[in-house]
Amino acid sequence: MSETAQSELHNLLARQLFELVPFNVAVIDREFRVVAANRNFEDYFGEWRGRRCYEAYKNSDQRCARCQAEATFADGRVRVSDETGIDRHGRTCHYVLHLAPLQDAEGTVQYLIEMTSDLTETLRWRREYDLFFERVPCYVLVVDREYRVVRANEKFRRTFGDTEGKHCYELCKRRTKPCSQCPAALTFEDGGEHVSNQVGVHQDGSPAHYVVTSSPLGRGGSGVAHVIEMATDISEVRRLEEQLRRAEDLYESLVRNSATGILAVDRQGNARIMNRAAHDLLNWRAKQPPSAARLREMLPPAFFGGDADNGWSLDLPEATVRAAGGEEVPARFSAVNLKSRGKKLGRAAFLQDLREIKQLEQEKLEAERLGAVGQTVAGLAHTIKNLLMGLEGGMYIVDGGLRRGDAARIAEGWQILQRNFEKTTAMVKGFLSFAKGRLPELRPTDPNAIAGAVVDLYRDAAGRQGVELVLEAAPDIREAPLDSDGIETCLTNLVSNGIDAAMLRELGGGRVVVRTREAGNELIFEVADNGCGMDQEVKARVFTTFFTTKGGKGTGLGLLTTRKIVQEHGGRMEMDSAVDRGSVFRIRLPRHRLESIAAAAVQTRITPEEP
Amino acid sequence: MTGDSRKYVLVVDDEPDVRSYLRSALEDAGFLVRTACDGLEALDSIRSNPPDLISLDLVMPRHSGAKLCRELRKDRSLSKIPVLIVTGHARDEMGRTDFEELTMSGPGVYLEKPVHPDSYVAAVCKLLGIEGPAVPGSDESDDLRQSLDQALSGAGRDALQRALDALRKK
Repeated sequence: MSETAQSELHNLLARQLFELVPFNVAVIDREFRVVAANRNFEDYFGEWRGRRCYEAYKNSDQRCARCQAEATFADGRVRVSDETGIDRHGRTCHYVLHLAPLQDAEGTVQYLIEMTSDLTETLRWRREYDLFFERVPCYVLVVDREYRVVRANEKFRRTFGDTEGKHCYELCKRRTKPCSQCPAALTFEDGGEHVSNQVGVHQDGSPAHYVVTSSPLGRGGSGVAHVIEMATDISEVRRLEEQLRRAEDLYESLVRNSATGILAVDRQGNARIMNRAAHDLLNWRAKQPPSAARLREMLPPAFFGGDADNGWSLDLPEATVRAAGGEEVPARFSAVNLKSRGKKLGRAAFLQDLREIKQLEQEKLEAERLGAVGQTVAGLAHTIKNLLMGLEGGMYIVDGGLRRGDAARIAEGWQILQRNFEKTTAMVKGFLSFAKGRLPELRPTDPNAIAGAVVDLYRDAAGRQGVELVLEAAPDIREAPLDSDGIETCLTNLVSNGIDAAMLRELGGGRVVVRTREAGNELIFEVADNGCGMDQEVKARVFTTFFTTKGGKGTGLGLLTTRKIVQEHGGRMEMDSAVDRGSVFRIRLPRHRLESIAAAAVQTRITPEEP
Repeated sequence: MTGDSRKYVLVVDDEPDVRSYLRSALEDAGFLVRTACDGLEALDSIRSNPPDLISLDLVMPRHSGAKLCRELRKDRSLSKIPVLIVTGHARDEMGRTDFEELTMSGPGVYLEKPVHPDSYVAAVCKLLGIEGPAVPGSDESDDLRQSLDQALSGAGRDALQRALDALRKK
């Protein structure tokens, strides 16, 4: 470069650099007067001409307490300081002041050049950053390459205590060595951002779960110098997750091990959950639960209906399900809609295998029957003894009459013999009908019709005995599968007992009421009298074979036969009685049992042994 | 037996035929007889004219024989009257409890139905402590009949075995 060119460049610089540098530049003399300033300075601090530096910078009429210019005038050294002034709008501003001496050829400092750059924004940023750093609701720390914590925010310090000179692994995990899976290490290595899950230790020793993000912070000659780590405590989330998992495990194990078959279907009707008991009951061996179409073949049709109703549920005490092999299995079947926050998820069905119960029921019935046979034999012996007694007596009286030629006595004895012969005939008939009696044939029948027929048949006979026989039939009684002959026999027995009891009223006004009604899915027949009633002794024996309170008139088989027929209908008998007030005999027939007995009529039944 | 020395027996049974029978047997043996068809009627009769002996059935409607016995025991003047129990229920569900209560609680004599007229009269005489009429049927065959009767009324397998044994010995 030639000298001319050099001097040309100098001139250009001297003229333009002053305006071009991105600083506020001003020149002051020894009197602190601003003698020159660039446009930046004027834009920032406003008018400077004729003003002293402290007037221009700080809008003050006094020199600064620690005047940097004075010192530089004295020692000729460059100074840098942070200053606070007033900008041209009268607002407080912050700036860095760079102050250097301008020396003339002799080395004397006549002027100082002052370069300022604004810090107001930077400081604001810094405050905001600090605030953010300190207050962000997660743990923030800066570590150096040795994993020493350089800085940590307030939340971190509050949780992990003083960080001074400590390593992050000591603080977070109470370790003595760096962790094996360290996100900061990765960031130091590749300068990238890394996210990982970490388990630390809370100050109380409980495990703390974190999601940690590590980012590089500043690069030096040897790569990343610092890493900022941000960690969010997700222990609470983890705890909830754990709770949820536990609840799930619990319910799953309850469902899996329940002895009740449990089956849940989705809205499309496909089975989603099927526990072991359900597998066994339905004999479903495949691991995959059955499809919607397959289920329709297996479960009762009612399970697939009644959708519109929100409170839908189902309880079939004696249903039949069809197992995979086609076998019909008796089961108690109940079902509910499955919902979550009002949204329908599907349906759940509960199946209770009734095979064993049915078996036990059969066995119990058999045992009862055998017990009844035993009782019958004992009762039969007694009845025969009584008959023998009558015959013996009749013969004795006839014998005496013959010996003495006493015709009246012969006639008396002969009558006794006749009566006992008739009794024998009646007893044998009654006994055969009890012991051998045909099995009930259940057909849909109007219960009121049977009750009406019995009342019609006995009304006149009762009237002749001074007893009023009344029918009180509930109007809403539905048809039921009944053996009408059997039920008629029952009501006939009860009505005839009732009339006998009502006849014994000393005051007259005897009354027998036959009622039908419906209660809790049971069909009820009731025969009530206002007769003599029964004391404890009689009540205890009333269903005993051959027990009779009617002297020679009764065979003692009426109530027994009645109870037998009722039991064959799956029902039971109740009785209530008070001496001199009357008795009530009640036949209760659960409708679902009537239905299932009628349905099972084709299946094998126990046939009574020949007596 | 004549006039005042005749003993008076009350026969209580709900079966009219049994009442006729027992009345005839006792009258033929020279007893005075009255009858009652249940415990209540019997109690009235006993109170108005106490008998020398009561022949009592156990299971009856209204007022059973067992109840009647309990009431008699409570009444000092009536508790001494001997009672002969004539029942068909000595061993079955209906009569066992009452029967055991009555026979276990004191020396009693009982007969199980059906009763032979001679043994009935003999039992009445024995309870009254008087000489009975000669019992024509009390020969060997009648003893066998009695023991068969006793064995059969037990109605169990053992009882049948005993009955068979009795026959075989014969």
